[in-house]
Amino acid sequence: MYRERTVPLSELPAALDEAMHGALPLGCYATNRTVRTLLLSNVGVLALRTPLSVGEAWESLASRYPLFAYHEREMRALQGIELRSSPDLRPLYFRADAIPEAIIAEGKGVSVVVVGPVHAGIIEPGRFTMSTGGESVVHLDAQLSYSHRALEPWFEGRDALALAPQVARICGNCSVARSWAYARAIEGLAGIELDEGTEYARLILAEMERVHVHLFDLGNIAAGAGYGKATTAALGLRERINQLNHAVSGHRLLFDSIVPGGVRAGTLSDPASTRAILREIRDDIVRFTDAFFARRSVLRRLDGAGIVEESLARRFGAVGPSARASGIACDVRALAPYGAYRGVAFSEERASAGDVYARSDLRRREIERSFDLLDRALRELDIAALPMPAEIAAPPAGVITTVVEGARGAESLSLSLGSDGRVERLHVISAAYRNWPLVTRAMEGNIVPDFPLVNKSFNLCYSCVDR
Amino acid sequence: MSQRRFARSLAIRHLVCGSCNGCELEMNALAAPQYDISQEGWSIVASPRHADLITVTGPMTEAMRLAARRTLEATAEPVVVVAVGDCASGEGTWCGAGSAGAGAGQELKASIVVRGCPPTPDALREGLRAAATLLDERNS
Ligand code: SF4
Repeated sequence: MYRERTVPLSELPAALDEAMHGALPLGCYATNRTVRTLLLSNVGVLALRTPLSVGEAWESLASRYPLFAYHEREMRALQGIELRSSPDLRPLYFRADAIPEAIIAEGKGVSVVVVGPVHAGIIEPGRFTMSTGGESVVHLDAQLSYSHRALEPWFEGRDALALAPQVARICGNCSVARSWAYARAIEGLAGIELDEGTEYARLILAEMERVHVHLFDLGNIAAGAGYGKATTAALGLRERINQLNHAVSGHRLLFDSIVPGGVRAGTLSDPASTRAILREIRDDIVRFTDAFFARRSVLRRLDGAGIVEESLARRFGAVGPSARASGIACDVRALAPYGAYRGVAFSEERASAGDVYARSDLRRREIERSFDLLDRALRELDIAALPMPAEIAAPPAGVITTVVEGARGAESLSLSLGSDGRVERLHVISAAYRNWPLVTRAMEGNIVPDFPLVNKSFNLCYSCVDR
Repeated sequence: MSQRRFARSLAIRHLVCGSCNGCELEMNALAAPQYDISQEGWSIVASPRHADLITVTGPMTEAMRLAARRTLEATAEPVVVVAVGDCASGEGTWCGAGSAGAGAGQELKASIVVRGCPPTPDALREGLRAAATLLDERNS
């Protein structure tokens, strides 16, 4: 459910303090001069709606709640909203010849190491400036935005139903999750309820995405720990999921499998054989993770590396496995169940150490839970018929925010539609957007050579952050 | 040592210029045992100075344009540029969207184009083989 409450700027801090109790903060975004601050709780999404008058500046929330810092810079860059008392006024987006200065530590014996934006592997662009004392990192500044394409302004005025393939391609790692959030936004505005079979099919597609992303992350963590054999094994297992993805949806990364109104025709046409293949892959994954997590010399490299305390994760509004590894309950599948998760009594995995080990082990357990869900949903799907996607005539005007749990955490999507079915505003807050500040904090006090390990234990995307 | 022994081996530097990272997921799949490009003598290298091949994805972004050009300038001739995916080829979802460019492969004058959104690992391997052949020709 989506609710809005209008709160004037002067009353926002108090309203926010109150609304934060028991809720997961998602961030804020602006449409022209109206700012919406979003929170998710077990009754759904609450938007605190704050219209700014002409010339009125936004009183920054970032000093009190650092999680808003990035959002506020984005509102300034894209909607031209002036910020008051902001702790960080560096431009968020830039051209290649005007890269903002990195924040570096100063002091005796501090030296600075810069890497990026082009990296040694097959990874997205970002520039990392590490202030170091000896081998230890004192401060890490992450300069993202190299993938910024100003996509959100470009969405405006376009036909919402025709935009589904673009939404699926905002980011390849969270494609299914985002397509699901987009479909739910349109269906929510149109007042469409889906049948059980379709909801199970969507759950299956989302869990298959989670499994292949988690496997990839585990492989990358192994690489960061110098355990190449496990990287190759994880990639091999992920490849089998990708091949199965192709068999069930016609696309190895499941792009375009969830569409507004349902799932694409022809998807998951043989649940029984999908279930059988998944069982085989599951057995091999368990063999792989058992071996990985029994290897003491490797585990010692993960233990105590890149610690994120729970209080820090909370202050930055962290989500997903990275937040759960620090003890925060934030799995949208359990907090605010949607679709077929409503009927399966899902309970989330958590840990408390907040280090690379906790984030790795959490993924291992989540893969297990995903297979449980897959097995159950495929059995249900075998008996339920899967209809063609519902025809949606032009959806009515309105504003909505939907949230689904992607592999990296809460993926939220805000849509404002005009009366002609055109997009007035489409805004994405990805799990990676929420979690990037954690990476920089987690590195403090760690050694430079552990940067790949700590970074990969989050393995955040850039494309959905930069857009 | 004979020339042949090194023929078709590739040192690859990968450039991401506004890709959605779908293309990167498939590039990474090439290291899976099912494809195992290391057996072909292909490796992803840590410096453009070591590269004889640049793979590039995405439509190109304003912030990456300079780093992309400098990467190419830092390589030693002959070097082959491979456009990976529809966006890099100039026909993809994000070409010309917002502030994105028309295709990073077009801008960097790619001589090999691997289509797909994203291309499959098999298509990528074919493209890289074609690039290796081209490189051999240019090197001889
Ligand atoms: S070609 Fe497709 S997969 Fe590759 S970057 Fe473009 S949208 Fe993403």
